[in-house]
Amino acid sequence: MTGAPSHDVRLEWPDGRTRSMDIREDETVLEGADRVDVALPFGCRTGACGTCTGRLLEVDESDPADAGRDSGAGAVEAAFAYRRRPRALKDRHRDDGYVLLCIASPRVDCRIAVGSSVHAELVENPWK
Amino acid sequence: MSDASIPDDVEPDHEHEHSHHAEGPGYATPQAAIEESDREKLAYVMSLYVGTDVDAPDFVAVVDIDPDSDTYCKIVDRIELPNRGDELHHFGWNACSSSCHVEGLERRHLIVPGQRSSRIHVVDTKERRNPELVSVIEPEDVYEYDLSAPHTVHCIPDGQILISMLGDADGELPGGFLELNEDFEIEGRWEPPGEIEMNYDYWYQPRQNVMVSSEWAAPKTYYPGFDLDDVEEGRYGRKLHFWDWEAGTVEQTIDLGEEGLIPLEVRFLHTPESTHGFVGAALSSNIFHFWRDEESAARSAADEASGDEPRAADGEGKYRAEKVIDFEAREHPDWDMPVPGLTTDILISMDDRYLFGSNWLHGDIWMYDVSDPSNPRRADSLSVGGTFGEVQEVQGRKLSAGPQMIQLSLDGERLYWTTSLFSSWDEQFYPEEGERGSVMLKADVDPRKGTLELDEDFLVDWGECPAGPARAHEIRWPDGDCTSDVWQ
Repeated sequence: MTGAPSHDVRLEWPDGRTRSMDIREDETVLEGADRVDVALPFGCRTGACGTCTGRLLEVDESDPADAGRDSGAGAVEAAFAYRRRPRALKDRHRDDGYVLLCIASPRVDCRIAVGSSVHAELVENPWK
Repeated sequence: MSDASIPDDVEPDHEHEHSHHAEGPGYATPQAAIEESDREKLAYVMSLYVGTDVDAPDFVAVVDIDPDSDTYCKIVDRIELPNRGDELHHFGWNACSSSCHVEGLERRHLIVPGQRSSRIHVVDTKERRNPELVSVIEPEDVYEYDLSAPHTVHCIPDGQILISMLGDADGELPGGFLELNEDFEIEGRWEPPGEIEMNYDYWYQPRQNVMVSSEWAAPKTYYPGFDLDDVEEGRYGRKLHFWDWEAGTVEQTIDLGEEGLIPLEVRFLHTPESTHGFVGAALSSNIFHFWRDEESAARSAADEASGDEPRAADGEGKYRAEKVIDFEAREHPDWDMPVPGLTTDILISMDDRYLFGSNWLHGDIWMYDVSDPSNPRRADSLSVGGTFGEVQEVQGRKLSAGPQMIQLSLDGERLYWTTSLFSSWDEQFYPEEGERGSVMLKADVDPRKGTLELDEDFLVDWGECPAGPARAHEIRWPDGDCTSDVWQ
């Protein structure tokens, strides 16, 4: 299907690399990236493993769908539609703006931190 | 002589060929495996990129471990899988010594599941140094049975394959067991639904009509990483389930309690008559011995005969479990809390004399004499890698993590191990593992004296893989090994 609306999604890696792409509302960020041969980490593709975790950095203020919010769970909910429940994320992760890119489709233009290190932020070594 | 010079259609073990002419795979007895096997020359090792930024699929490494070979300690072949994102973890053979009686069956195909993807690969090892991927079961076909997250693979004695599955199709509980037929197609669920909630490893003893299974957690709980909140909320396992092997039903569940948190690898002794076994509780870092209590079994039978309700509650069933080894947490000057050993793998030598294991966080490889299984006697240990290991580099190569998956030669004289546990847990506890890749190391074992000695000449380095540093996990030998062979 090519008629679905799309949004400009900018992926930002920790090493400074960035890539902007149009991602349709009927595809997930992971699928959209894959379509243009951009590799993102992933595992289960069902929202259970968290390997694909990204962090919402900013939504486009000019996008009427989500003006005024720039991070956090509210922004994630406004910025993405989930195909299924994001089971790998806890409330505290969602509050901090983490998003599962394998099941999330964009609803606004946005910037997302991506790469394997984002997943590693979800839990710390509890003994250290 | 390397394995490559052995013709494809000839078993390399001529003694074995002779003693089992026109019969099935494997060895007649554990003692036969010790006596008749050649020294291991190749290892198949699960290797992975999932969870890193390396844009490459996971692979099965073929490692040359023949000291007379020019490519000793090298990865000589890589079976690349068709997709990224699998997280190769545990794998197993289509046939083992339990199928010794099945004429025409060969120990030839490796069943290679992806832990995160739920994709199941079949690899043909007819050409031992150049195995080939021959078929793939896609995740959607697995989800149809409301299962995901494949873990332990054992063949079952008639040619089928049984895989423990840790979650339902959504990565939640309950898990269960998936059965494949001899053509590597899904046969269906092995057990009636609802027997267990959590699942992990399992082992069976067909002559005793018993299977034992252990518990990790729901995939959605352990996939993202280890969170103490999940422990406090009871999302991690602490039970052992004893099954009627023929019926596929749970006969008894033993709650190991606070000291049995996260019981992972579970092993029966190899002797098919034995009902004794061990399980390593990873988080509480101790070892439980379990066994069939004959007095309790007799009492139970008497109750049933007299019409009383059969006893099934914890501690009153036929099996009993008792903690027999404890690894104390250690203080680290820079860490906030005492650090548990994290006992992530155990195995029993083929002669059933020694129990070996790894404490991944501490950096220990240990061996206990379990001649009397209820009274293990510490034999020796090695302090290598991990948070506290005395040896922190081999051949100038820094070790990034502690010893993890272990494998022992059939003769019990060489113990090998890799260093990766699970990609997200590696990132949490040993972030350098992802940057440097895993290593495979070896210790020489003297079973007579009960000693371990690190072989500093042996090092296989996954840091040097062409696509980038990879993690290395479970190890298997082509001729069967101490963690997969079962006797009928």
